[in-house]
Amino acid sequence: MDKTKKVSSKSTSGKPIRCRAAVARKAGEPLVIEEVIVAPPQTGEVRVKIICTSLCYSDVTFLNLKDPPACFPRILGHEAVGVIESVGEGVSEFVEGDMVIPTFMSECGECTDCKSKKSNLCSKFPFQISPWLHDGTSRFTDLKGETIHHFLFVSSFTEYTVLHVANVTKVDSAIPPNRACLLACGVSTGVGAAWKSANVEAGSTVAIFGLGSIGLAVAEGARLCGAAKIIGVDINPEKFETAKAFGVTDFVDSRSTGDKRVSQIIIEMTDGGADYCFECVGRAFLVEEAFASSRKGWGKTIVLGVDQPGSQLKFTSFDVLHLGKTISGSLFGGLKPKTDIQTLIKRYMDKELELDKFVTHEVGFEDINKAFDLLIGGKSLRCVIWMDK
Amino acid sequence: MGEKQDCSKTAGKPIRCRAAVARKSMEPLVIEEVIVAPPKAYEVRIKVLCTSLCYSDITFWKRNEPGFYPVILGHESVGVVESVGDGVDEFKEGDIVIPQWMAECKECETCTSNKTNICSKFPFSISTFSCRDETSRFTDLNGQTLNHFLYVSSFSEYTVVDIVHLTKLDFSIPPNKACLLSCGVSTGVGAAWRAADVESGSTVAIFGLGVIGFAVAEGSRLRGAKRIIGVDLNPEKFELGKKYGITDFIDVRKCKNKSVSEIINEMTDGGADYCFECAGSTDVMQDAFNSCRRGWGKTIVLGVEKPNQKLSLDSLVILHSGKTLIGSLFGGSKPKTDIPILAQSYMNKELQLDGFITHEMKLEDINKAFELLIQGKCLRCVMWMD
Repeated sequence: MDKTKKVSSKSTSGKPIRCRAAVARKAGEPLVIEEVIVAPPQTGEVRVKIICTSLCYSDVTFLNLKDPPACFPRILGHEAVGVIESVGEGVSEFVEGDMVIPTFMSECGECTDCKSKKSNLCSKFPFQISPWLHDGTSRFTDLKGETIHHFLFVSSFTEYTVLHVANVTKVDSAIPPNRACLLACGVSTGVGAAWKSANVEAGSTVAIFGLGSIGLAVAEGARLCGAAKIIGVDINPEKFETAKAFGVTDFVDSRSTGDKRVSQIIIEMTDGGADYCFECVGRAFLVEEAFASSRKGWGKTIVLGVDQPGSQLKFTSFDVLHLGKTISGSLFGGLKPKTDIQTLIKRYMDKELELDKFVTHEVGFEDINKAFDLLIGGKSLRCVIWMDK
Repeated sequence: MGEKQDCSKTAGKPIRCRAAVARKSMEPLVIEEVIVAPPKAYEVRIKVLCTSLCYSDITFWKRNEPGFYPVILGHESVGVVESVGDGVDEFKEGDIVIPQWMAECKECETCTSNKTNICSKFPFSISTFSCRDETSRFTDLNGQTLNHFLYVSSFSEYTVVDIVHLTKLDFSIPPNKACLLSCGVSTGVGAAWRAADVESGSTVAIFGLGVIGFAVAEGSRLRGAKRIIGVDLNPEKFELGKKYGITDFIDVRKCKNKSVSEIINEMTDGGADYCFECAGSTDVMQDAFNSCRRGWGKTIVLGVEKPNQKLSLDSLVILHSGKTLIGSLFGGSKPKTDIPILAQSYMNKELQLDGFITHEMKLEDINKAFELLIQGKCLRCVMWMD
């Protein structure tokens, strides 16, 4: 470990840290860079100095949403990489100086789900859009003493954050930080969905609805699994050229299908339907279209996109019974953070998994709102935000 | 079993025999004489030994689809080959065979895959014909065409079935047990075995304790499920269900303050590993989905609903719960391979079939069988042709 990067624990351990954070104060408005106070980690927690963080569309969603589970003021951000600054009581898994990736997916390692190979949904610390850490309190206050809320148990748009150890994965410091942070959410979700949730086999046909970072990560995962045909569906044909670099072989511009439905076109292209369909946007009608595009007999549809609360997927009873198809959803691509992120890192270091192409922009922390503009404008995949620039 | 037919007298000629003809929706079937034409290419004419009534016969008899009547219903049966048409190598006169509505051509991509049982060369549909050449082999004494049903039409002393809809049994099994394997029991046992792949030690919840539900229980029991919860409106089903391995019961009518899924989630500390919907109702499908375990729970839909009824699932629940929904025809079983396996399992005294037969009667009493099943007073009524 490069000692020059080591955080000087003597000065800060056990004490609150005053540092910069990008605070979401009002729905729909730019984040405010301001100083905040970050309390020391409590039992079972660690405090992390963020090296860099990337913007994911879920951050945008929760900046713009007015109603619960949105809340303000809040420190958003959940894709990041950092270094342990100090650890709370009872923590033996990490030491100061470890390079770590925080994840919104918890892994306590003890509950039935964590112990099972079949699930990555920790039941001790279940996934939720919580304003707090797991103990129902916050470690952030602003300079007026007002509580600032956490986001997805991570909150990475800050120089320092506090996390429960269940939400922290140690990583090999050989991976560049602006590649490591991608594995905290989007890329892992997409690659994992193809690899673990769907278990795409070599020679399969895959259809991906929505060519954002998640969709492209699914394509990358499917490519690594040896899929023979990867069809990308999007409303924006400009995405197609970029998507080729991720392994997408065929394209459907869903705004130019004329009288035919997208599912009809996919069924024709694949002589019966795709083996695996992934919905990566978060719209019920697209999930239903993906289901219709999957192959009769064994077609699997995996839902990755995050829709509005209350949105309903509707399937006709006949289609469910007669077609032998499967539908399921997947959080974090079905991956267990503490084991599987390291596997992805290894594949990156072995030059199999390609991460460079996901990073289209890099900015300094003060320009974080530019990252939001780029993503909302559909002009970026991943914009990496460096804390020290 | 294995009676020798004097088939040389009838081969190649039409046969005049008894059948129970459904002429109008919701009206009693009429026992009358019909003419059964000889088998065409790739077809087999079969002398039916016995046939059982399945709720799907009633479902279609209740619906008044245009062009459906008059029809020879029935799709659970066992018979003996009387004669074969051109191009048939797989079967010969005297073979014991089980016709089934699920086709298996054994050549197409799906038949050769072990991931599914849905033949793509002969996809399932509610056809009124014998199979490949869209004509019927049945006429009544006035010369009027009678429709086939589900490629089987077993409520007749003789029927004509395409070879892709026929399974041979190489060994002896009592006919009244054999006929159960052509639909209900194979669907249920198959669902636990093939579609769900229930593991030993699992918890299973079954919604709807008809023959399919009991067969799912029997299949789950054979797979080593630790706990099998039966859910039904009729408490009389519970005692019967114990025979099939059902360990716990939920009487739906007694669930006042809590929903069935809440009760199951409590009982199982988080939900069942596998939930099977065996009632044919989208509301029940939803209950079943809500009752399966977060993380890995699988819900398998077996029940036949009205075709356009919509099943509604919350999008975020799908995303966040790690649950899977699968539909399955014939329990995911491939007929030509799996029916003989189940028959052998019965002969080895593993698979229990006897309890499914609650009534035995003659073809003439078929309307009694309809009444019993509609009233929920029977499981399988087996009708013997002779």
